[in-house]
Amino acid sequence: MKMDRRSFLAGTAATLTVPGMTGKVYAQEKIVRFSFPQDFTKIYTFVTSEYSQGQRDYITLVNERGGIGGYKIVADVSDHANDLPRAIEAYERGKREGMVLIDPLSTPVARALVPRALEDKINLITAFSGRSDAADGTVFPYVLPLSINYWTQAALIIENFSKMEKGDLKGKKIVFVHIDTPFGKEPLPILEVLAKRLGFTLIPFPYTPPGNDQSAIWPQVRRAQPDFVIFWGAGVGQTVALTEAFRNGLKMDRVSSSVWLSESDMDVVGRANAKGVMKVEPCVGGREPKVIKDILSDVVGKGKGAGPEGKVGTAYYNYGVQMASLMVEGVRMAVQKAPNGPVTGPWLNEGLTSIKDFTAEGMLPPTTVTKADHQGGGMGRIAQWDGNKFVPITNWYTAFQDVVWDEIRKYAEEFKKTGK
Amino acid sequence: MDIMLIAELVLNGVFVGLMYALVSLGIVLIYKTSGLVNLAQGALAMTGAYITWVIGAYFGVPIWLSIPAAVVLMFFGGVLIERSALRRMIGQPVIMAIMLTLGIEIALRGLLPGVFGAAVKKLDIGVSPAPLFLGDILINQSIMIGGVVSLALILASLAFFNSRYGIVMRAVADDQTASWSVGIRVEKAIAVAWGLAAVSATGAGILWGATQGVDWSLSLLLIKALAIAILGGLDSIPGVILAGLIVGVAESLATGLIDPVVKASTRDIVASVIILATLLFKPHGLFGHEHIERV
Amino acid sequence: MFYRRAGIRHTRYQEERQLFPLTFDRVLILFVLAILLSAPFWIDRLYLVGYMVPWLIWSGAALGLNLLMGGAGQIHLGYGAVIGIGAYTSVHLVRFGVPLEIAMISGGLMSAAIGSIFGAAALRVKGIYLAMATLAMQYIVDFFTQTKIISGGTLATLQVPPVSFLGISLKSDLATYYFVFGVTFLIALYMLNIRRTSFGRALAAVREKDYAAQILGVSTYRYKLLAFWVSSFIGGVIGSVLAVAYLRAISPDQFHLELSVQLLAMVIVGGLGSVLGPFLGAALILFAPIVLNNTLGWAASAVGTEIPIDLRAHLPLLAYGLLIVVFLLYEPLGLAKIYDNFRKYLLVWPFRHAQK
Repeated sequence: MKMDRRSFLAGTAATLTVPGMTGKVYAQEKIVRFSFPQDFTKIYTFVTSEYSQGQRDYITLVNERGGIGGYKIVADVSDHANDLPRAIEAYERGKREGMVLIDPLSTPVARALVPRALEDKINLITAFSGRSDAADGTVFPYVLPLSINYWTQAALIIENFSKMEKGDLKGKKIVFVHIDTPFGKEPLPILEVLAKRLGFTLIPFPYTPPGNDQSAIWPQVRRAQPDFVIFWGAGVGQTVALTEAFRNGLKMDRVSSSVWLSESDMDVVGRANAKGVMKVEPCVGGREPKVIKDILSDVVGKGKGAGPEGKVGTAYYNYGVQMASLMVEGVRMAVQKAPNGPVTGPWLNEGLTSIKDFTAEGMLPPTTVTKADHQGGGMGRIAQWDGNKFVPITNWYTAFQDVVWDEIRKYAEEFKKTGK
Repeated sequence: MDIMLIAELVLNGVFVGLMYALVSLGIVLIYKTSGLVNLAQGALAMTGAYITWVIGAYFGVPIWLSIPAAVVLMFFGGVLIERSALRRMIGQPVIMAIMLTLGIEIALRGLLPGVFGAAVKKLDIGVSPAPLFLGDILINQSIMIGGVVSLALILASLAFFNSRYGIVMRAVADDQTASWSVGIRVEKAIAVAWGLAAVSATGAGILWGATQGVDWSLSLLLIKALAIAILGGLDSIPGVILAGLIVGVAESLATGLIDPVVKASTRDIVASVIILATLLFKPHGLFGHEHIERV
Repeated sequence: MFYRRAGIRHTRYQEERQLFPLTFDRVLILFVLAILLSAPFWIDRLYLVGYMVPWLIWSGAALGLNLLMGGAGQIHLGYGAVIGIGAYTSVHLVRFGVPLEIAMISGGLMSAAIGSIFGAAALRVKGIYLAMATLAMQYIVDFFTQTKIISGGTLATLQVPPVSFLGISLKSDLATYYFVFGVTFLIALYMLNIRRTSFGRALAAVREKDYAAQILGVSTYRYKLLAFWVSSFIGGVIGSVLAVAYLRAISPDQFHLELSVQLLAMVIVGGLGSVLGPFLGAALILFAPIVLNNTLGWAASAVGTEIPIDLRAHLPLLAYGLLIVVFLLYEPLGLAKIYDNFRKYLLVWPFRHAQK
């Protein structure tokens, strides 16, 4: 009666062994295998293709230059569509093929992979996604955000507002418009603590996901007459929020968002309309940094680019380069410590946690990852849209890390209690 | 609570509700003629918006020309879907035909972003985003025009049902076998309904695409459209208008009045509760026809 | 020839009432069971954890939904929420230190209770309209699982502590697999047998025409509610299995409308009312995207990177949608029916004309 099932499985197994061959081109060389199952087709479409392009271009650049200490880096890119069974399958497949690092670029997926990665000692990169408390390396040794988490981003935004008001936010009104999901609510505890400490009033407005209709939110924001507005969402929610902010006549140079704002969002809103909007920048944007120039000449120029040339240097592309450069730097440190491997999760983890003052030739804020701090120091900067591109208006800085770390420790502690 | 705020929220809700109703219109048209619920309606809206954008971006056609071009293309696209897939499901369980439309939905969601790029695209239909104040009330031009156009299109489809061919379609909706026996080509009427549904989806896709940008998330309009169509009574066009208004205004007011109190977004559940409550009192929606069941 | 059957030769009532009257079917079932039971010992870990476990869990969930949809003819668009209730109830209980066995049952009961409240709408509303009523359930439950008390704070992730079932720790892949297998096996066994009970027959009567059933003396009121109760209970139990054996960390977005639609697709594409159907449907819906993605990804890299990344990423989705369309056009009654056709063909092979 269930013969179909059997033949199906046999067929599946037969088909599935085929893709495994991709990596075997390098079989005779020394390789370090990264796995990049990411969401190309569902919630994260707005970022993934550019982010992945950046990652792959950077890795191509490294491999073209002979790799790291004799090691070539292999990146397996696939699509998990934000679907857990698919992501877990990709994880297990990667594990079988000997990956030492995985970057799923999705909060739900990262959360589900945390217990597995900790058990299997595989480095789980949760840049701009996943659990914010993973910054605590003592509890999450194999989960590495390597970038400023949402709590730090919120703190950076508030610090910038405070600077704009010459250090005094007392009595000011800050509106926080956010998507009503765990991701959107994440900065709330930090903002609440800071509101108490700095004496500003915080008014949160949640909107229903995916946020394509926020017409009932922004009239309320306008009527609240805020001094500053923070909007927090992703993809379509961001562009709609900005359009509505503009329509409601809010001062655009008092509106700020997280890292999730890019040039293509600005095209949708209208480049001129959005003038003045601020965002958090985790790395330098545009084509100025030396790394991007190298990619343009050595990778894209030679026809080895992973995508359209026009996307090189966009915000999300550079995030991809940023993350790939940190991963590769981790490999470099690991090779320094133990040149002959063996290439395993713990081997790479040693490398990743000894990244020190790394700037990728001026593209990143000085990033130091230690066994305790997986966030990398928590440096970022604020950039402002001038109608054509994002222009940095601050230097690299960090803010309110005491508050952020209180929160990180609180949740990490809870994880430790119930998790393992 | 500020009375002006409430007025503004109600006004916004009216327009947004009408824009949702336009997506529902297609669901109703298809349900009326063939008795199945089209789960690909949201994806059709996305397709219409994509095609409009593609005609403009790839061929440099101005927007006033690319819209009618897209409408014509989509009409035939709708007819093609009916002809190639759904006609073969006639006589099969309805639930399977509904599932088939879900398959079409998934395929369209793969096809268009795959071919034309998944990144958000700007669809400029010439509506100024500049703020427009009426006293203390802000008129959101984009959704106002969207709401007005939606209403016009829905009324036009009502008028269409009074035309000669519209009467044919009403006959089909009433009783397929009887229509057959008096010489009406039932398949053709259903195909036209699909074409019209695709056209209304295109209209909705363009209007929504102009407010939120064009990407796959336009296909998410389906859920809300389905809710409105069911509240209105699945086979009633006036029902769609009223249901759209109810859902739009209720959601808008919920966002303004309830959200600040409970500190969470209650839009979806307020709408759901209203629909649930209505269905308990009127199991066939507001204006839906009750089918007499014989044992 | 394969089934070695010629005429009906029952001499006892038990023989007639057997689940699988034909020896060949029985042997086949035992063979498949043997394969499944021995799977951990010869299947690669990737396929065990990445394929078999989710397949069995999703099949179990689809079986529960199929009781409602195929058995009683009631559409449910909020089954993901039902599963979510079970998962959250049991994980919270387990975190409080309640043994998993009790937590699972409590999860089931909680799902059954809440599911039946919404199922009560089915007493008045029918068909597509019922889909809307259950969709409302999905949204309302989503809203509550997102509140801090239930979701577990700002990060909205609940970690599942290490658990054991009947004294066996569910830490190893082996134990997890057998645990999942056992639960799904019990559900499948229940579904196979339900048709032979008065409950199953009453459900079928309600499905075909509820008025007619009422006239025949079958209480539609009672049996519709019972169908919701049983199906939601199964959903709740599967929810806790899903949480402890597969997800290991739960957050509200895992149980949203997408899961409901996914399960609905599994049941319908697999075949309404069939027990085999959900297994086939779950396999297709879960693995078609993965297999297509891997195969097309490999094909694309063989061709070179000429294909734009967007197209490469979306091709599997397109193929997956078309696959559903083609399957349904080919056999509108679902995958189980395709198997059934095949079996019927073999039943009389090589005398095909004897079929009529």
